[in-house]
Amino acid sequence: MASTSSRRSRSARRQEARRAAVTSPSAGASPSRHLWVPISFTLGLVAISFVGRVRDNPVLVWSFWASAGALVAWQLRLFLRMREELTMPAFSTVLRAQHYLQACLQLSVLVYWGWYWRPVYEYAWLLVAQILFAYAFGILLAWSRRRPYVLGFGAFPIVLSTNLFLWFRDDWFYLQFVMIAVGFLGKEFVRWNREGRLVHIFNPSAFSLGLFSVVLIAANATDLTRGQEIASTLSMAPRIYTFLFVIGLIAMYKFSITLVSGLAAIVLFGWSAAYFTATGVPYFIDSEIPTAVFLGLHLLVTDPSTSPRTPLGKALFGILYGVSVFALYSGLDAFGAPRFYDKLLAVPFLNLSVQRIDRVAGAIQSTRWWSRIRPAWPPARLNLAHMAVWIPFFVLMTATGRTDGRHTGHSVPFWQQACAEGRRNACERLIEVEYVYCADNSGWACNEVGRHLAEGRIVDPDPELSRAYFALACEARFQSGCLNLLEPDGFVAAPPRTLDLRLLLREGKATLTAMPEPELYDRACDHRWVFACDALAIR
Amino acid sequence: MAMTLASAAWIFRVASQEAGQGEGSSLPSTQVSADSLRFRGDAWFLPDEELLGFVEVPAGPFLMGSDPDLDPLAFGNEHWADTGGRASVDVPTFYIGRYETTVAQFRAFVEETGYRGDPAAAAGRGDQPVSAVSWTDALSYARWMDAQLRASPDVPAQLVRVLGEGWQITLPTEVQWEKAARGSDGRIYPWGDEPRPDRANFMSGGVEPVGNRPCPECPYGLADMAGNVWEWTRTPFEATPYDLEAAPRDLREDALWVMRGGSFADQAQNVRTAVRGGADPGARRPFIGFRLAISPP
Repeated sequence: MASTSSRRSRSARRQEARRAAVTSPSAGASPSRHLWVPISFTLGLVAISFVGRVRDNPVLVWSFWASAGALVAWQLRLFLRMREELTMPAFSTVLRAQHYLQACLQLSVLVYWGWYWRPVYEYAWLLVAQILFAYAFGILLAWSRRRPYVLGFGAFPIVLSTNLFLWFRDDWFYLQFVMIAVGFLGKEFVRWNREGRLVHIFNPSAFSLGLFSVVLIAANATDLTRGQEIASTLSMAPRIYTFLFVIGLIAMYKFSITLVSGLAAIVLFGWSAAYFTATGVPYFIDSEIPTAVFLGLHLLVTDPSTSPRTPLGKALFGILYGVSVFALYSGLDAFGAPRFYDKLLAVPFLNLSVQRIDRVAGAIQSTRWWSRIRPAWPPARLNLAHMAVWIPFFVLMTATGRTDGRHTGHSVPFWQQACAEGRRNACERLIEVEYVYCADNSGWACNEVGRHLAEGRIVDPDPELSRAYFALACEARFQSGCLNLLEPDGFVAAPPRTLDLRLLLREGKATLTAMPEPELYDRACDHRWVFACDALAIR
Repeated sequence: MAMTLASAAWIFRVASQEAGQGEGSSLPSTQVSADSLRFRGDAWFLPDEELLGFVEVPAGPFLMGSDPDLDPLAFGNEHWADTGGRASVDVPTFYIGRYETTVAQFRAFVEETGYRGDPAAAAGRGDQPVSAVSWTDALSYARWMDAQLRASPDVPAQLVRVLGEGWQITLPTEVQWEKAARGSDGRIYPWGDEPRPDRANFMSGGVEPVGNRPCPECPYGLADMAGNVWEWTRTPFEATPYDLEAAPRDLREDALWVMRGGSFADQAQNVRTAVRGGADPGARRPFIGFRLAISPP
């Protein structure tokens, strides 16, 4: 953490910048003097609209031009106002570790994840465009509010953090720009007085993510985004939990957020284990903590500006994040909404609770027993102590296969058996897993979904949808699907083919295209596919 | 999904086309002129005929497959495994579409149901055969047409009767298709034993309107049973011709379905009535279409 003296010097710099905010122009100076900066960003945005990735989709091109047009109109209006008021826009430069370090960590996640899921790299131009838009928008917003723009890396974490969780599809991409704008507006206008200072309430990216999540869920329009896909493809990067853990350590060390991240993770690990013990099925389908939640608890919920400052406050904040995610996962499911929004919806509510959490923490800390148990260590040392607990805990979880290892929920036969035994939510999860593999083009999975929809035992019967799934199975050359489509009286099934196994056994990672067949059957047997065990026995 | 046209398993033989061939047919034949061809806009663009374009093919045996002694162009997969040649197959009565299903007919289905296939299928001239349809698209259309005809009060009495008896509108089986194409006399092409470009659209640049080349010699008055577009059947592609008694295939094998008749892009050898093509059920190609049949329960 920054020392007291450096904090003071930063504050002084900020006040100085404010004083220089919007000043009267010197003789001969024009308001247009600094306007080239937002114009450059806007032109950059227009230039990117000519890149192949954007040009391929006319809606995307129009999204870029409309955003650039809005920025140009804003700049023009601002220019006229400044000329009329004889004022000049101003800049100050402040580089905050909180911004550039977060940006580096977020960027490293994108690079690592993109290595294993190429759409991330294909998305790079769209990411750059959002950063340009964010800078132009931030500058114009500051100048419109008659204050200088603090130039730094502040736009990066807002854009990158947003894009680690939600991308609008190309046909709706203009909403991505709106989402970035909403983040900035939230930071600018939604403020409160905290410890004598007027500060923003919400983590800007979490605010826009949360707001858009609510709107998308309410409008039943969640398929406009690639959020679900993003959440599920994170795990395609091998050892992603370990990767996130390592970069998380940097954030923990630098910003003293160990209590927030660590306790949130511990709560989720603990609750998952308790749920499995009680019901015999995992709470989250194929992990103890979904990868995107693990990412969120390291990089989304940990903004020091919008989280509690005291250790006890941070601890409560982390615990509440874990509990909220756990509750929202089921809550969203009950409403029929995609569960992946759990990690996004929790943060704004927690941001709103920060003052209350601080008050509760303050009340506890003022008690005599607290002062007796509290170690009288400086904050940095205390944080190191917390890290010293978190690191072995994570290592233990990893060693016991609760992070990057194979998870019980990866096994389709496990869900089939759990469903047959009537375990809690098992049939819903089974069909959900089959939907996912069907979307991956497993003919076997499509045929199974079709059978469930036709038979109506574990889902409401829907003959038309059932035929659509049989057709998908058939088009994936799964013969049973074709026969079920042809003769709808009495449905046939067959074990997965080798091609299906390459999908069904991927354990959240990339398709096992290169795995030799004997190894594939070996893994299938591990997953409790009886036919595979039989085949191995015959060999 | 990668939709590759599966290998058709043709074994091309370099052989003379001068095999002994017989002409003539004892089967009923109805000449169809393209000029007289009309479709009913009020009846899903089906042909303006007594049975809405369906033709009855009476029960009885026919010679299926190829005898290499009689047809030197025959591919290996047209022979019956036990005889090495043709076999007599008895087929119950069924109905089959006189024409290939057209773009207009398929477009009516797409527009009414919002069916999502290849947009190319519903584009183009209405009187041309629909193409770029998968096997599943064809079955979906057949199912829809079955439902429409059952629900409509304006359906010919003969169709109402057979549908009431449990017959179904679907794709023809491979056996039904071949019988409809060649009749009972074992001819090589629908019109006889010699290739005739005036009778069918093959070795050309593209599809033509259905029934564009009149074929007075063709059995049952059917049009385009050779060329124009390949036609899906509801028979799984097996190594030997369809056998009613055969054990079910291994369901773990990849699916392939038989298509028949050849297309505008094929040589004369591939538009023979016995030629068997196998294709991926998801393949949507500009040379594959279908025609409907009404099959007994």
